[in-house]
Parts: sequence; C-alpha cells; structure tokens
Amino acid sequence: MTDDQPDTAGDLAIREPPRVLVPIEVLEGQTIPQSLVAFLAPAELILLGYHVIPEQTPTEQASMQFEDRVRAAVDDIAASFAEAHSDVEERVAFTHDREQTLDRVADEIDATAVLLPNPTGEIDDILVPLRDVVDVDRLADLVSTLVDGEDKRVTLWDLTGDENTALLDQSEQTLRDRGLADEQIRTESDDVEFPTRAIVDRSDDFDVIVMGEGEQTLLTTVLGDTSERIADGAVAPVLVVRRERSEDGDDEDS
Amino acid sequence: MAESDQTNRAGESPSTVASPTAVDEETTVTEEGSELERSIGLVGGLSVGIGTMIGAGIFVFPGIAAGQAGPAAAGSFAIGAVVALLVALPASELATAMPKSGGGYYFVSRALGALPGAVVGISVWLGLVFATAFYLVGFGSYAAAVLAEAGIDLGGAGVVVPLGLVFGAFLTGLNLFGTENAAKLQNYVVGLLLTILVLFLGYGGLDAVGIFGQPSAPESFLPFGPMPVFTTAALVFTSYLGFAQVATIAGDIKEPGRNLPLAMVGSVLIVGVLYVVTIFVATSAFGSERLTAFGETAMVEVARSFFGVPGAVLILVAGLLATISSANASILSTSRAVFAVSKDAIIPKYASRMNLKYGTPHVALAMAGGPVLVLTASGEVQVLAEVASFLHLVMYGLICVALLVIRRDEPEWYDPEFRVPAAPVVAGVGAIASFGMIAFMQPLSRRVGAAIMIASGVWYKYYASDVSLKGVL
Repeated sequence: MTDDQPDTAGDLAIREPPRVLVPIEVLEGQTIPQSLVAFLAPAELILLGYHVIPEQTPTEQASMQFEDRVRAAVDDIAASFAEAHSDVEERVAFTHDREQTLDRVADEIDATAVLLPNPTGEIDDILVPLRDVVDVDRLADLVSTLVDGEDKRVTLWDLTGDENTALLDQSEQTLRDRGLADEQIRTESDDVEFPTRAIVDRSDDFDVIVMGEGEQTLLTTVLGDTSERIADGAVAPVLVVRRERSEDGDDEDS
Repeated sequence: MAESDQTNRAGESPSTVASPTAVDEETTVTEEGSELERSIGLVGGLSVGIGTMIGAGIFVFPGIAAGQAGPAAAGSFAIGAVVALLVALPASELATAMPKSGGGYYFVSRALGALPGAVVGISVWLGLVFATAFYLVGFGSYAAAVLAEAGIDLGGAGVVVPLGLVFGAFLTGLNLFGTENAAKLQNYVVGLLLTILVLFLGYGGLDAVGIFGQPSAPESFLPFGPMPVFTTAALVFTSYLGFAQVATIAGDIKEPGRNLPLAMVGSVLIVGVLYVVTIFVATSAFGSERLTAFGETAMVEVARSFFGVPGAVLILVAGLLATISSANASILSTSRAVFAVSKDAIIPKYASRMNLKYGTPHVALAMAGGPVLVLTASGEVQVLAEVASFLHLVMYGLICVALLVIRRDEPEWYDPEFRVPAAPVVAGVGAIASFGMIAFMQPLSRRVGAAIMIASGVWYKYYASDVSLKGVL
C-alpha cells in the first residue's frame, strides 16, 4: 500500500488527511452520534461493521444467517454520514476476537486512529491526556487537524507525574503552530495513582477524548488495552491515535 | 457448478458462503466481500487435536487394552499412530487446499460426490456422538473414582453412567448459553495435562527400565499371541480421532497452509508417543490381569504404586480434566459436522440456525447433545469406542481415496500449500489400513456402524438425491 504512506510534504507526523477506523458492532445496535461524524469531517472514514460470535459458532455459519443484515445496517450508517463524508469505505467482518479484527483492519488500512464509540453531544471540549512520551507529535497533529473552528477547546492533561513539563510544552507548541488560538488551549498536570481511572472520572466534562495508543505491557495484555478500558468506563467517545507503523506493518518500537 | 434445480426435498440448495480460494492467512472473504476472521493459531490447533485425543488413550484405555493384548498393547497404540499418520498427511493436504469448516466431509463430498459425502457427513456426525458418549462414560468413571477416594459412597459402580449423563447435559448447556471464550482455558488445560503426563511417564519410564529399582519384566510381551494386538489396535483407535477435528475447524485456523498440517501431524505424533510410553509404564508396574481388573481408571492405581496417594489424586484430577476436554471438544466438532451437511442441504437448513440471543448454533448443539445422552446411558465403553472408530475410519479411508482422485486429475482451483510426498503410496496404504482396521472389530460394532452408514445413504437418496456436490466449491 504505497499510496498509504504518510504525506510528509506538509511536515505533519501523520498522513494527510488522517484516516480513522470506525468500528461498529451493528447488530448490537451501536451507532455513531452525528456530532462525532461532523467532528471527524477532516478525516477519511473507514466504517467497519462487525459481529462478534462465540467460538462454538463457525464464522461461516454466522455470516450465512447475518451477513445481509449486517451489510444493510452498515449501508444505513454510511448513508447517514453522507453530509460530512461523501465517500466512506465500508467493511464487514465476522469474528471470534474483536481486538484481533480491529488491529488487523487498522493495520491493513494504515489507520491514523481508531474510534471507540460512546454517546456524545455537540463537540466543544476535547480532552487530550498525555501518559507517556510515545508519539506525542502524532497526537497533537491529529487534534489540530480535527479542530478546525474557533469554537472548540482542547485540554492537554499531563498525567506522566513528571516535574518536567517539556512534554506539555511541546504539545502546546505544536497545537499553536498548527493554528490554534491561545484561548483554545488549556494545560493541566496531575500526579495521580491510577491515570486510567482519573481519565474515566473526568470523561463526563468533555465531549471526546483523544489519546495515544500507549505501549503494550504485561498489564495491558492481562487487562486489555488502556484505551479500551477507558472507552468501556468513559461517558465520552475515545479516539485512539495509533503508533507509527513501519512499512511491513510491525510496530517500529518493538 | 451447482444448478438452481439441485434442491433437496424441502426445496433448499447448497449455500456457497465463500470459495476456498478466497482465503488468506488471517481471513476468508465471502462472496459478498465480508471478512471472516481466523482466530485460532498453531497452539490452539494443537490443543484441539491433543485435547480431543488424550482423554481416551491415556485415561480410559490402558487397563482395557493391556487386558486384551498384554504389554504388546503398546504395539496396538503404535499401529494406531501409524494409521492415523497415514491419514493425517492426506487430510492435511486437502485441508490446506480447502481450509473450511466441515473437514473430512467437505473433502469427500467435493472429490467423490454427494452420495459418499452424505454418507461420510452423517456418519461422522453420529461417529462423534458415539465418541462423545464414550468420553463421558470415561469421565463418569473418573468422577466415581474421585468420590470413592474422598470416601463418599454413592452405591458402588452404579454412579458412573449417571455422573456421565449429568456432565454431558452440563457441557451441552454450557455450549448453548456460554458466550465466554473458553479456547484459552482449553490451551492451559492441555498444557497442564502434558506437564503432568511428561513428569509422571518420565519417572515411571525410568523406573521401568531399572534406573530407580530393579528392572521389572513381569510377564511375556505377547501373553495372548499376536492377533489381539490388531483387535486391540482397532479398539483403541478411538484415541486417534482428534486430529480430524482440527480439520473441522479449518475455517478458523490462522495461516492454514502452515498451521493445519503442523497441528494435525504434530498432535498425532505427540499423543502417539505418550500412549506407547503409558502402556509401557503401566504394564511394567502391574500385570495385565491386575490392570484389567482396575478397568477405566487403571492409571490411577499405576500412579499410586509410584507416588502413593498424592500420585493417585494427581492422575484422578488429570483424568477428569482430560475426559472433560475430550468430551467438550467432541460436542463442538459434532455441531460443526451438523453445520457442514446442513449448509449443503443434505439435511434441513434449519439445523444451521443460530440462537439470536447467544449467537450459538443451538439446533446443531442439540443434535449433538441429545443423542450423546442417549448413548451415554448405555454405558457400553467398548462398543461406543468401536462404533466411533468404525465411522471415522470409513471417512479416513475415503479421505485417502479423495486425495488419490483429486491428484489424478487436479481441478484448476486445487492449490494446496502442503503436498504429501509420495502421495499415491501414502494415501493408498492409508486407505487400505483404514478399511482394514475395521475387519478387526467386534461383530456388534461393525453391524451398528454399517447400519448407520446404510441409513445415511438411504436418507440422502430420499431427501437430497438431486443435490450434487462433486467439484462444487
């Protein structure tokens, strides 16, 4: 997929326009709020309708019975995106393992970010928790690409527990460089014991959370990805910015 | 290609969900373009194969087999392993060319046509039902032994069948309503079992050759002559049915070209070695007569003779886990076997309906669990085992024939990633060995098996004789 490489001409650390994977468990009645669709207007959307089945059921058997319904539901959702996105790519998957499918499709399409949907209203307040130094550039670049109006406010929240504010300063500077006004940016830093829970607790004050994917650790292998756990607990949708992948699809830092 | 007038009595025709050529390492792509995720890796595939097989060969058969063939029962298990390998290789090639749910039924129906396909498909459904019932009786024996060890008296030998029945119903229910993924659990159970067995057999094997004590040579190798070695091989072949179950989940295996052959051949090799060593250890600890008297739980007494009560308890627990994992894996395979024939309109399509709330194939699971309970109630370990083997061996023989037929005139779509070396020889000997093994079974088992096959053929003629599947993808 040579045409999917990030366009570095605009000196962004992400591809331009960004590509966002929108996974929806359609038969569970999951939907995407229109305000979120509008917020994502600067990005290309890939809509993945998926259906998770227990392992005692062959995927083939599930597709025999449900394929038409899933495809129809995905078509409907894509049609409802038409105002903001004229050309949404649609994909349908049947799986025993949701995370495996999301990871695979995100790799295949070289997604900049994956949306973990939750209900939300008008999008004005954006929370950007900073947890580690990985790919802060990509995070800031995606936020600045999506925040195109004067009316949206971004809260950068440093949760590294580090006295050094370089990370925060760098992110703030990137947002300014990309055209955000000073009054749109707020910075905070806290040293909390459980960042995941702290983010979940603040989620109802914001309309969307944009965060980095984080690193794979033993803990995330046992408990599941941090972003997934936040999306499960949070009131707001979570947009997870993926790490930079090398050309063969592997993580660069592994 | 399927004509639209090829319908069964209910007017249903075979469904093509995805062509076997639309397969890559991680997904199958359906005709409409949906992706079917493959989520089982090599470890998962091996664990299905080993988990299905190990319960029977180590925890149920040693006492019975030694009683029939003496220490030469080790040879019976070795014969079984060779026959299983001769079939596992052709099955692997066919599975990499057609990595779809349905396994042996799919290969036979596509290579040889709908009638042999229907006979194999329906027979294997019932063959798996017999196998599951056999594992459940084995489970009942272990559960009863656990109760006895714990000093709980429920009235002697009469509890084996009721315990098997209760657990059979429980497993069926679990699969109907359980949506928690248990595959990882199965991997750990199989890993734990292998660890226990390697430690136990390692110590027992060293002891038997005289490292720790006096070398024991309690009796002659062939106390009953050579013939029982073959009849016993036919009986214990049930311990090798699991590798074909790997083919039934081929549609879920990642990198099928690599993982299917490795999982099928690897699981046969691993359990084959364990079985032979088990018999060696068991017959060096006790004479054949003692082992026979211990019956299905003979290994518990063998462990007791080496390690006292802790050894006995460990093997009891292992036996429970092993028979549970065998029974559960077989119930799942049965439901897939039902789906495979139902998808092709050989039996009513209704059988492949899924439960909306749980997403489970409730009709197929009921068609597995229901008959299993009826057969478990019979409590006839040897007949259950032999009929299961009979019905599988017919399929194995036909899988070999299918490979010969396909190789002779390869269809355009046929592009297996794994090719059997010297295929005509391997598949030819495999077919003869599979059919030949049937000759050594008890007359009753052969009659029951043959009756089921004839009934399957009659059903096809009655219900689905217009359906033709040869070369249909």
